[in-house]
Amino acid sequence: MHRQIVKVALFCLCVGQTALQAQEFKLFDRTIQFHGFASQGFIYTNDNNWLTMHTSQGSGAFTDFGANVSMQITDKFRIGAQVYDRNLGNLGEWHPSLDWAFADYRFKPWFGIRGGKVKTVLGLYNDTQDLDFLRPFALLPQSVYPTDIRDASIAHLGGDIYGSVSLRRRLGTISYTAYAGHRSDSLYSGYTYLASEFGVHFSSYGGLQYGGDLRWNTPVKGLLIGASRIDQDVAGKGTFINPLNPGAGFAPYSDKPETDWTNQYYGEYIVGKLRIDSEYRRFLHAQVVNGGILETTTDVRGWYVSGAYRVAKRLALGSYYSRYSITHVAGGPLAPLFPDQTDTSLPANHVYDKVLTARVDLNRFWNVKLEGHFMNGYGSSIFPDGFYPQVKPTGFQTQHECAGSQDEFQLLEGGTNA
Amino acid sequence: MKIATTNLKRLLVAAVVLLGSGRALAGDIKVIANPSVRADTISVAELRSVFLEERRSLSDGSHVEPVLAKGGPAHEAFLKRYLSKSDDALQTYYRTLVFTGTGSMPKVLPSDSAIVNYVARTKGAIGYVDIDVPAEGVKVLTILQTGSHAERKLVVRIEPEYPETLKRLQVGGTVRLQITISPKGSVDSVELLGGSPILAEAAVKAVKQWVYTPGPSPTTIEVSIPFDPKR
Repeated sequence: MHRQIVKVALFCLCVGQTALQAQEFKLFDRTIQFHGFASQGFIYTNDNNWLTMHTSQGSGAFTDFGANVSMQITDKFRIGAQVYDRNLGNLGEWHPSLDWAFADYRFKPWFGIRGGKVKTVLGLYNDTQDLDFLRPFALLPQSVYPTDIRDASIAHLGGDIYGSVSLRRRLGTISYTAYAGHRSDSLYSGYTYLASEFGVHFSSYGGLQYGGDLRWNTPVKGLLIGASRIDQDVAGKGTFINPLNPGAGFAPYSDKPETDWTNQYYGEYIVGKLRIDSEYRRFLHAQVVNGGILETTTDVRGWYVSGAYRVAKRLALGSYYSRYSITHVAGGPLAPLFPDQTDTSLPANHVYDKVLTARVDLNRFWNVKLEGHFMNGYGSSIFPDGFYPQVKPTGFQTQHECAGSQDEFQLLEGGTNA
Repeated sequence: MKIATTNLKRLLVAAVVLLGSGRALAGDIKVIANPSVRADTISVAELRSVFLEERRSLSDGSHVEPVLAKGGPAHEAFLKRYLSKSDDALQTYYRTLVFTGTGSMPKVLPSDSAIVNYVARTKGAIGYVDIDVPAEGVKVLTILQTGSHAERKLVVRIEPEYPETLKRLQVGGTVRLQITISPKGSVDSVELLGGSPILAEAAVKAVKQWVYTPGPSPTTIEVSIPFDPKR
């Protein structure tokens, strides 16, 4: 299929700044800070619909915002919470969630504990994947950070231990995080939305997760390398229409994992105005549905290399190449309905994404991004990777392009308006 | 005529001295703290840790909170020398802390004088300003280039001789030196980092006579020697 020339009308939708105002004030001689952010995007694709939106007609259903409050109670103890809401096509659906809310006690720089709902550290950006204003790109590489399952990976209800240690002989700094807790997926996320294609309607999806992250700020100035690991025991419950007996109507549904882990390796190099990142993630997931009527093993691998350069005070340019592949094998009585997918050269089993982006900082709090994606492949129908048959019933095209704009602002305190 | 020649000579000497003394090099800074901070010294690692919000107290228990400049040569020099981050990267770092709940946005002030005023009246405040900015009401911290474990106390301090001509001509300023202290406590080497070059000779001569408490290994620290013609 030849590529079509993308003709895009880009709209920059602005959000009223008066709705949010960063503030700080004193309470019992302690400073309380309020911060907020919001973003609005517009996406157009020339062929496939993407991220549950009808992007082939252009879609502005790409909104998110959050607000937090935090307080440093003592030198070692702080508390805070953030609410988050988003509407991404058919995901999120404006249902606000508690993004994080925890108490943090840092005994020493090398040892601290957090408890509550805590952001999950996994690779360079998992815990900040919804904070687009931190980077030049409107969308992180979807091979490693699929935005449609953001809520599934971004936080856990539990505890962390963390710290950083300066190594002797100027060997740099080691930072670590170890955590355990409960993951609870939104019913408006990519997993549950994708499952509805197969007649499954979840009432709950979640479970135990634990893992850790180790990163080394090396003696080479600006170079950081690290590795993360997460293990999970996530199960789902709900109802479904059994394809073997559809006349019986809705029947109880349950799935439970046999294997569920993710390994991630990463590096970051910052020199002057240039930033280069690279990450590799492998996710292996095997599950059993309803005691064995379906057994699936899914192996997802993704990596990317990105570069961004601030060419002027208000302008940054960036690019990345992101490569995602998936294999899938099934067993059990329902297996014929889910044919094995093992050839990652097929467009149904990969997404290769070349991205160009420009970020303009209008001022300290406002920025606008223009981003183009040139994709090959559309991934698998059994894993939420951006493409859903529900919004493209006529089938997917192999080559497709996407252009988007995002206009966002975030408000911060810390300046002169104390 | 003789009087005119003498005056001309004096003027020439003054001009040479003034040109030679120059001002402190652009980006020369000093780290200041509220008097509530008990420490007189701070290691580079501690300083970095404080400004990256990894700690809110020093090893002696003093409460500290960082204060940043909005921009300028002192700000750029501080980021480059002690944090190894650009301003853009540092802002991103703080925003990451704020929106993941792991830290606060520090106070940012528009000028050196505002920083000195704020640090002077705010318990635990620690900031940085141009080396020539008067530090009234605050204390100037000596930066230890090596780890905090190597902290050394000054036991013998010889004040530098202020060259009479320069004092008379009101030439003053601060000389910034990096010195290496031997395990026995003597000053082994001195390197000029910044400040008025014409005053450096006197400063170096004095500092070489300083004696510190013994330590397990050589220690490298940064010291600032003020020359105030009004004193």
